[in-house]
Amino acid sequence: MSHNCHKAQALAYRYLDGEIVWFRRVRVRWHLRRCPPCEQGYHFEGWLLRRVHDGCREEIPTVVYERLRAVLRELPLEPGLRG
Amino acid sequence: MADPARFEDDVTPLLPQLYSAALRLTRNPADAEDLVQETLLRAFRGYGGFKAGTNLRAWLYRILTNTFINRYRQQARQPAEVELGELEDMYLYRRLGQEAGAARSAEEEALERFVDEDIKAAVEALPENFRIPVLLADVEGFSYKEIARIMGVPIGTVMSRLHRGRKGLQKALWEITERRGTGSPA
Repeated sequence: MSHNCHKAQALAYRYLDGEIVWFRRVRVRWHLRRCPPCEQGYHFEGWLLRRVHDGCREEIPTVVYERLRAVLRELPLEPGLRG
Repeated sequence: MADPARFEDDVTPLLPQLYSAALRLTRNPADAEDLVQETLLRAFRGYGGFKAGTNLRAWLYRILTNTFINRYRQQARQPAEVELGELEDMYLYRRLGQEAGAARSAEEEALERFVDEDIKAAVEALPENFRIPVLLADVEGFSYKEIARIMGVPIGTVMSRLHRGRKGLQKALWEITERRGTGSPA
């Protein structure tokens, strides 16, 4: 693995998060075009990030949602909390 | 200044997201509901000071995160900061690749066999100081700058914790794979 591979892999998250300055983004893109193992690794990391995003979403049970909505409705009526 | 009369209308659409985040933080439904309730109370009290037109969602997550840290960490007597060992970049990719040998898409096939419960268990296994940035970035989709504001830490700290938290999560997923003994998660 070359020095550029190490650098590209260290920058993977910032690249995938869209949090990298443009000239580094361009350099990474050039490297990925030339280096299939790194390109494959980036692809995997991106997929894993999406898998974590999709796998951690939790539906709110209706009964809990209704209780929390009731809390929201009641808050302005609390004498100690008004205006 | 935000109008307190609009509080209910503004916050109601965000309840499902707040509950989902609270559940990943507290790891149990009763504490998650308590945490959201407490967040709503604190947010309502401070709503007059919230600048209308700025990021309400990030503001609520900040209250949620701070309330969690102040209340639930004390209850659980968890240490404030836990370190994860040093892990190499692309930790899971390398390991699944070694298992899979030459098959190119084998890593992604292995990843597909993880069920949602595996992903949740791996996130929940992270120490709090890494779990929070991972949740805020990967599940809630906040930018590094927003996470820095929510957590009240410098952006460099966010990047470092997020980076290490994600690698810790990959290690936890690898351990799930190893426990099953097949190289195939499910």
